[in-house]
Amino acid sequence: MAVSHHEIKEQIRELIYNTCIHLDDYEWQKWHNNCADNFNYAIRAFSPEVQTDIKYHGGDKEYMESITNMLNKHNSDQSPLRRHCTVYRVDVAEDGKSATAISSLTVHQTQLDGVNSHVDAGTTSVFLVGRYNDTFVIDGKSIKFEDREVRLDTRRLDKGTHWPI
Amino acid sequence: MSSRNHTQWNATPDLQRGEWVDSRIYSDDQIFEDELSKIWKKTWIPVCHESELKEAYSFRTMTIAREPVIVVRGKDMVVRAFLNVCPHRGNMIERRPAGNYKRGTPSGTPKTMTCMFHAWSFDMKGKCVNISRKEAGYQDRLNEDQVGLRELKCEVYFGGFVWVSLNDDIGVTVEEFAAGSLDVLAPSLNEEPLEVFHYHKAIIPCNYKLWHDTNCEFYHDYLHYHNRITGFNDAYFARKNNGFDGGHINVGSFEVQYENYEGSHGREELSFPHLPPNHWYMIDMFPGVNFNLRGSALRCDLMTPLGPNSVMIEFRGLGLASDSKKDRQTRIDHHNSIWGPFGRNLHEDLLAVTGQGSSMHPLAESRKILHGRHENETIHDENGMRHYYEEWGKLLNRSPSDPDKKFEPYPVFKEQEAQRAAAAVE
Repeated sequence: MAVSHHEIKEQIRELIYNTCIHLDDYEWQKWHNNCADNFNYAIRAFSPEVQTDIKYHGGDKEYMESITNMLNKHNSDQSPLRRHCTVYRVDVAEDGKSATAISSLTVHQTQLDGVNSHVDAGTTSVFLVGRYNDTFVIDGKSIKFEDREVRLDTRRLDKGTHWPI
Repeated sequence: MSSRNHTQWNATPDLQRGEWVDSRIYSDDQIFEDELSKIWKKTWIPVCHESELKEAYSFRTMTIAREPVIVVRGKDMVVRAFLNVCPHRGNMIERRPAGNYKRGTPSGTPKTMTCMFHAWSFDMKGKCVNISRKEAGYQDRLNEDQVGLRELKCEVYFGGFVWVSLNDDIGVTVEEFAAGSLDVLAPSLNEEPLEVFHYHKAIIPCNYKLWHDTNCEFYHDYLHYHNRITGFNDAYFARKNNGFDGGHINVGSFEVQYENYEGSHGREELSFPHLPPNHWYMIDMFPGVNFNLRGSALRCDLMTPLGPNSVMIEFRGLGLASDSKKDRQTRIDHHNSIWGPFGRNLHEDLLAVTGQGSSMHPLAESRKILHGRHENETIHDENGMRHYYEEWGKLLNRSPSDPDKKFEPYPVFKEQEAQRAAAAVE
């Protein structure tokens, strides 16, 4: 029996929320497993300063896997990031083979070792605000991310991070 | 002796003066104020790139030494700089970071800079073109000719960067100020127009000089897995750190082995003009400017010191204006992989200077910060920082090693001068 668009929308919401948990908990491989082979990821923002749309980060599935595989080689701010996400809208294509979703996103950072841990550890602040603009491929058996754009409002990113958002 | 007690910790290092600095230069309020008045208000500062001012009437705003500045491109396509301050009541005229005056503003007509407060307007040459209800209020006591904007020295130089000085009497061009430090990259940057493709900013709780120091010394490549795995060969360790008059340095090149880093590829197909494939040059200009060309992408760091323990760094990435869409995207990906806010190297650098800022905050106990490595002026030599602080000491008339004392030339520089003089005689 064909799955209804309503059920697909529910599954997509669940996928987006579960992906937030995977990313929050550094379960990178679980995130990659939810992405199609032709997946593409990008963090972008429009800069009013230089009047240009700017890509801050991203690449294909292979590149994003290499990024997360190499994390333990790098010196990183280990202050946890927590994604607060609300799925605003899911649109399923007529044929039920693809879908798009728009989600509001706020990421909080709780300081651990980024500044002076004695003073700052445990302090939570807003790290960034933006949206997830997602595209999905649906093959009847599974739903996978085909494209994720993290569209940032925040452009002052200070130390930045090594972690995908 | 292994660990040290307080007296030992504070003892003068067994190095020559000039091979260490007192950490108060990174944290003291009065020193910071001296730097703004004696350095930042006196010199040339690049503030943006001309590609950010593509059309007539476009503008960018910024701050130099707390002074609001606006840069505009006139109808004649000349780029000019002014204090972004209305001569009437001192309001900041333009509040936006960038835009174009072809469209009017709520208080003003098109093609003018108009102060929203009382609608005084100025043309792109800084001439006042409207004083609202002038005759009613000033009768014949004040007219537009008397209230033009404060124009600032401005040059477009070195690949299209816009340089501004608050100092009317600076007396040197940007080229003269650079003293040859830019020559190594001039052919690559001047061959064809460049374009900004990346901009982001960071406000970091550290002194601006700590960021400049980090850009000046490559010994910190131990911080970067990427640089160790793609560099750290004989050619890397042979790179020269070259000093120039005025406290500027540049760093010689070598061929980076990008393919040694998983997921990374060579950049030879998109090398800047005249740059050998996968080569990497760096220029650090006094008092806080960095140009960094890695094969296919140019990075430029511009600093705005905000306080003794706070600096805003603006990071730009540039490619060739003639890039195809595909080539531009590749350059952007190359840039972002190490230099974006989510890149591998920039985050590490910013973490490190944040840690320095935490230990050298205002009123922290002073420490001796070592700049004493000598490796024949090659990449892990710390001569770049010594060269910088020689100039810093001269301009502030403070000893970097003991900022309460007047500056005396470093012994190591005296020796080098004597050696150069002897060589010249021979």
